[in-house]
Amino acid sequence: MNSAARLIKQLAAFLAATLAAVTPGLASATPKPEAGIGLPRDVSEYGHHIDWLIEVTMVFVVILFIIMVIWMVWACFAHDEKHTAEYDHGDSKHSVKTALALSAVIFFVVDGNLFYNSTTDTFRLFWNHDALESDPKAVRIEVNAHQWAWDARYTGPDGKFNTKDDVITLNDIRVPVGVPVMLQLVSPDVIHSFYLPNLRIKQDAMPGMTNRLWFQAKETGEFDIGCAQHCGVHHYKMKGMLTVLSPDEFKNWVTEQSAIASRGYDPKDNEAHWGWEWKSRN
Amino acid sequence: MDLQHIHPEPTSFVRKHIFSTDHKVIAKQFLWAGLLFLAFGGALAMLIRWQWAFPGEPVPVVGPMLFQNSGGAITPSSYNAIFTMHGLIMIFFAITPIMIGAFGNFCIPLMIGARDMAFPTLNMLSFWTFVVSQLLVIVSFFVQLGSAAAGWTTYAPLSTQVGTPGLGQTLVVAAVFVTGVATIMGGINYVTTVVRLRAPGMTYMRMPATVWGLWLTAILNVLFVPVLGSAALLLILDRQFGTQFYIAGSSAVRGGGDPILFQHLFWIFGHPEVYILILPPWGFVTDLVSFFARKPAYWYKGSVMAMTAVSVLSAVVYGHHMFVTGMNPMLGQSFMTLTLIISVPAELLFLNWLHTIWKGSIRLTVPMLFALGTIFVFGLGGLTGLFLGTISTDLYLHDTMFVVGHFHLTMAAAAFLGSFAAIYFWFPKMFGRNMNQSLGKWHFWFSAIFITLVFCGQLVAGYAGHQRRLFDPYQYTFLQHLQPLNRWTSYFGFILAASQVTFVVNFFQSVFAGTKAEQNPWEIGTLEWTLPSPPVHHNFDVIPQVHRGPHEFSNPEVKKTLGRDWIGQDEELPKTGKAPAAPAAAAS
Repeated sequence: MNSAARLIKQLAAFLAATLAAVTPGLASATPKPEAGIGLPRDVSEYGHHIDWLIEVTMVFVVILFIIMVIWMVWACFAHDEKHTAEYDHGDSKHSVKTALALSAVIFFVVDGNLFYNSTTDTFRLFWNHDALESDPKAVRIEVNAHQWAWDARYTGPDGKFNTKDDVITLNDIRVPVGVPVMLQLVSPDVIHSFYLPNLRIKQDAMPGMTNRLWFQAKETGEFDIGCAQHCGVHHYKMKGMLTVLSPDEFKNWVTEQSAIASRGYDPKDNEAHWGWEWKSRN
Repeated sequence: MDLQHIHPEPTSFVRKHIFSTDHKVIAKQFLWAGLLFLAFGGALAMLIRWQWAFPGEPVPVVGPMLFQNSGGAITPSSYNAIFTMHGLIMIFFAITPIMIGAFGNFCIPLMIGARDMAFPTLNMLSFWTFVVSQLLVIVSFFVQLGSAAAGWTTYAPLSTQVGTPGLGQTLVVAAVFVTGVATIMGGINYVTTVVRLRAPGMTYMRMPATVWGLWLTAILNVLFVPVLGSAALLLILDRQFGTQFYIAGSSAVRGGGDPILFQHLFWIFGHPEVYILILPPWGFVTDLVSFFARKPAYWYKGSVMAMTAVSVLSAVVYGHHMFVTGMNPMLGQSFMTLTLIISVPAELLFLNWLHTIWKGSIRLTVPMLFALGTIFVFGLGGLTGLFLGTISTDLYLHDTMFVVGHFHLTMAAAAFLGSFAAIYFWFPKMFGRNMNQSLGKWHFWFSAIFITLVFCGQLVAGYAGHQRRLFDPYQYTFLQHLQPLNRWTSYFGFILAASQVTFVVNFFQSVFAGTKAEQNPWEIGTLEWTLPSPPVHHNFDVIPQVHRGPHEFSNPEVKKTLGRDWIGQDEELPKTGKAPAAPAAAAS
């Protein structure tokens, strides 16, 4: 039975692959390679918040570092052994106040900026999962991360997970553009980390927990899904593909796949029934 | 001091050189053991760099011998063991013994005016327990399925039988436990020695910053290594005795445990560990920039308070390693806030160092160069930490090479350059011989430049999204364009490794054939330089009376009366204007 089930699954995967290959507009070969040195292409609706914070902090950091280096080099040349050292313990009230004031200014500007922006961005956007639960447009996907692949599950027309019409894919996640996509992540074996470099988001899949992640793509195309947590021998091969489709293409794809899945549904294939009832709140 | 009797020096070879209770001998033993494993860990790093530069290609020279079944190329499973053991060896079996084992042992009693550690026998046991842990590491490479491969962080369940079967992982976890026992023994000794055996007049605020750094490190070790020990013990139970403390998911039976528990235990230890490894270099640097700028350490008390504040904060920021584990956002927010607060004392330390060298009379000796190099790399490492301590930027940068570059600049580069600053500085006192200064300068420039390039290369790769620990990064389309960058980084790494020959040659030549060192070659006032090089078995014939702090340089009054720009901590300033005949004489 087991081997028969596997055969059917392989056949289904083969059919899906063939279908994908012959359907125009769907899943062209690979993601577009990145070029140059810097952050990868940002295709997320909100990724620019992270990019801006990284870049602005980078400017601060580079300025501070350059000041430090100039200070050190200048001191080494201007105050070398020919220079008479000043006898100063630097513990006068004036010196202490200057040191504390300088540290405070750097702290409030650089760290304050990080703190303010990270706090507003995480609570308003990146970790604000609850607000999306009531969004009727949001797409829900369950992801089962395991050694060494990503299984994804979509509801069919019935809107419920772990039912007959669920669409199940392997290392192939397709989402509509311009719509929030919510993921719930689990792992049956070791820790994995679902990572979308082009969407600036990452979340661990932790055995025993259901973790949440959401994103919203602003461009169509194909993008890498990576595993960011060392998960064993083939960690480096735990690669998936995110395909961002137009809303219509996505709708057609889900409907089509759901119909195929319903026809091929095998109630005895327990391995395929890893889904769960969507957890609105953790 | 009634506490400290003068014991006669042992005469047998075994008691003198092997099972010695003399802190100066144990320091050298730790130094040799640490340097040996530093070379070992460095060699593993070169294999990793080869793999990222030329994935799947046979490793030249050593490849056919090490990877027989794959034609000399590194396989995914051996790659995992290589990066895991590189991290564990460098942290627990190279940097820790060199900085804490060797210099903690050597500097603390000499610099505070003690005849030995508070517990000399415990000190000896600490070293030999450490040797047992090193042996366990070596053995782990020769068992079936090879050494540990779950990453240096040893995250469960990957590190349990679920992810890493084989005896090697168990042996390495056991080695970490055993080395933890050795560290705790050493830590108790250091803490007690500083509290109990300071010479009269050696108040806490007159202790050299080196002793402060080592002491705070010892306190953190005593408090937090037991947590690592517990984590390791539970992991051994999970691995060998069928418990399920850390196992969840489909491998869990009857409820199982929780993998996140391991991360909490690991990082409660792991974050203080970062400071355990950086506090001693901070101490070295605070002292050395003052010694070689011939100027008092700027706001010394402020530096001490900053180091203490960082030590306290280090215990409550560990959660920033776990932002993407599914942590409660409010908890994450608290950890981020505490993490960012650490930048205040860190900035103060930097400002004090920079103020110390400003308007000094800088002598660019080899130890001073290494101290300035430590400030340089730690500046880069500390600043890049800002991006990782902040939640929203960490969502992107977490578990990328940016993290690897960041912690290598702090824990590896700063600890590496800081350790060498200490080695070049105390070598004359330790071995009674001088090191070659021009070879030392070559060693410095090659090390400082290439270590910066290697870890900055990692930062740039991580900025582009490159995950860490990938056997073949170029499987990913978005990383393919980084191969030239990684290849260059590898070349820099190979040059860095090759240039260490200048140190090896210098070290051996100086240990066995260096010119005899003077008593006080650097002309500074801390207590160890009042002793002959090397000091006698019991250090001080008479326990000195301390009159002042360690950084009394360029004092106009001293210049007028003694005609030099430094004065010993135990020296009494004569009331008359006559210079005494014997400078730096031990107060007797």
